[in-house]
Amino acid sequence: MAADPASVWQLVERADELVKYAQNRDPQTAYKQARAVLDEAEALTGQLEPNAADGLRTQIETRRADIARFEGTS
Amino acid sequence: MFRKKDPEMAARIPPGQHLTRGWPVLSASPVPPFDAATWRFRCTGLCDGADFSWDEFRALPSVTLTNDIHCVTAWSKLDNVWDGVLFKEVAARAGVKPEAAHALVKAPYGYDANLPLEALMEDDVLFAWNHDGEPLEPKHGGPLRLVVPKRYFWKSTKWANEIEFLDHDQRGFWEVRGYHNDAFPYLEQRYSWQE
Repeated sequence: MAADPASVWQLVERADELVKYAQNRDPQTAYKQARAVLDEAEALTGQLEPNAADGLRTQIETRRADIARFEGTS
Repeated sequence: MFRKKDPEMAARIPPGQHLTRGWPVLSASPVPPFDAATWRFRCTGLCDGADFSWDEFRALPSVTLTNDIHCVTAWSKLDNVWDGVLFKEVAARAGVKPEAAHALVKAPYGYDANLPLEALMEDDVLFAWNHDGEPLEPKHGGPLRLVVPKRYFWKSTKWANEIEFLDHDQRGFWEVRGYHNDAFPYLEQRYSWQE
């Protein structure tokens, strides 16, 4: 089934949830899981029209940078 | 206990929200350390400037307010009792310049949330240090968090330690990550694509 922007965004939101609840459990595990979900989301952007794909890739990259920053402080 | 047929209670739950009995812990960043001896709260940007120690901040005129809060992840929590200081009391001591029309309320680790100054100056917006009579727990934003009950709760910056006054709107942490700039729960303004 082809991806659409909404389904990719749902994965981005899922990664957000993993990060936001990370402090309730093992943060490093949560960050690792969030990165895996972001990888999955990025792979699906290849099925989107270019404008939507670019916007979502920017959001994914921003979150990867956030996670890298948080990993260094938790 | 909340019953769906109670119309007064139901009216307090925005669309798409459900009641929570607890208080879920969500934060983008780790909990920052707090040391009352070194903690500072600064007002920057379009103002004369202000810099408070923890004792100085706690000595500001305090209020107790009760309100409901609504998280964009779809839980709502009613009848929260907050002790703290009104945003406008802090702003009054910062010498805000007339051209200031917006503000970012900031926290450690690069978190911030933006709102129009007019919204922040309302009588229900405060920096809270107590919740339901107890010191605000670090996981919920202690020692100090902003509380803006009319907006989704990410606008209520946890671990607040700075106000930057601006003459223009500048999107905050979640607002640049795909979430709505205004964030009114009763309008279900969750995502930036709705703008």
